[in-house]
Amino acid sequence: MEPQPPSARREHLHQRVWQLLPWYANGSLAAPERRTVEEHLAACRACREELAVCRELARAVTGLGEVAPSPHPVQLARLLSRIDAAEERPRPLAPRLLAAPRALRRGAATHLAATPRPVRTLLAAQLAAIALLGAVLAGLGAGSRPARPTASAAPAGPPLYRTLSEPAPARPPAGVAAGAQLRLVFAEAATEGEIRRVLESVRGQIVAGPSPLGTYTVEVPRGRGADPLEVVLAHLRTRREVSFAAAVAGSEDR
Amino acid sequence: MAQLAADDELALLRRVAAQDRKAFEGLYQIYYRRLFAYLFKVTRRGELVEELVNDVMLAVWTGAARFDGRSRVSTWVFGIAYHKALKALARIAATPSAAPAAADEEPREEREPAAAVEEPESLITRRELATTLGKALGSLSPEQRAVVELTYYYELSYGEISTIVGCPVNTVKTRMFHARRRLRQLLPGLGVSSHAG
Repeated sequence: MEPQPPSARREHLHQRVWQLLPWYANGSLAAPERRTVEEHLAACRACREELAVCRELARAVTGLGEVAPSPHPVQLARLLSRIDAAEERPRPLAPRLLAAPRALRRGAATHLAATPRPVRTLLAAQLAAIALLGAVLAGLGAGSRPARPTASAAPAGPPLYRTLSEPAPARPPAGVAAGAQLRLVFAEAATEGEIRRVLESVRGQIVAGPSPLGTYTVEVPRGRGADPLEVVLAHLRTRREVSFAAAVAGSEDR
Repeated sequence: MAQLAADDELALLRRVAAQDRKAFEGLYQIYYRRLFAYLFKVTRRGELVEELVNDVMLAVWTGAARFDGRSRVSTWVFGIAYHKALKALARIAATPSAAPAAADEEPREEREPAAAVEEPESLITRRELATTLGKALGSLSPEQRAVVELTYYYELSYGEISTIVGCPVNTVKTRMFHARRRLRQLLPGLGVSSHAG
């Protein structure tokens, strides 16, 4: 390759610096390139003028500021519902687990993945037992009282594959004969009394929340004697105290 | 200070990778406004942004375990957002009824009177669109606009921008080069004051 004449080399350097000017203007160039640009700037009027243009543009673009509202609990609740739905897609699981209720499986799957194989077998057997117990409880509970596990009932069952170091789950141990779980956001103006009456109207109980952004997980009875979930949701959505209501995936009536 | 914040974000993301929803809500809170503003700057379509923020955060939830730590968390999240934004714009462009998003001089509000009128932020977004600079930026391609915003608004290096947009550094420089030329044509006042001296 023939050596470039000095003028061609100058032109090449000029082009290179010209392209770098926006990042010289925003102060993000690394030291060697910054020096290259500065040396060229001292000798090139066109680049100095272009740098002024870049800086002006930077000021103008920054001056437009940000247009962003604060996060709204309803948006977050929608997002969490989508996550619930996404996680409903079947994952590969031990065959025996497939007999367990869905909510139970979902919670178990993540823990199982991190469990050594011999322990897994044991857990799977334990899970099957829990599922059976759940089915029995559901049968017993459905007639006389709402078939839902209360938080206080949970400790009576076997400890649910949680280590002590783990943070408490957002929802209660997805136990036995679960009621249906809903995600609710209450209107900002709703008073505690109003919220309580809304919950009473659907025999709901808060099992988690409020999240930092104000969403609640609420459990309502399901099964025989309980209103179908769509009816409960439709009712909730008519209440002005409720700004968002959706079923947590896996809680739909099947 | 910025480093502290970055460490916090990384810690949150690690917990999100372990399916920690509290951590996810924390990350959501940190990123909501940033993503909203950025997605609006790239797409310039307020009616898309709310849903796009959720698309991005859903991808963060499902992809957190794959974050390799080679970039900052924000670079990774903005990269996801950039690609979601372009996809959404391409989808709209493919819809026959949709008006072209870029390269038209007509003010947007005349074409889309009904879009998101109810939402308070649309007033602000429309103001941003209506300024001379806003219109000039609107005439760039989304790819060019992203580079301009990431450089001037977010003050990122061309290296970081190349990570976000998933293109070689030279492509970033070329896009900026063309964007500068276009903006110069549309904003003849730029740099005039400096020419005096």
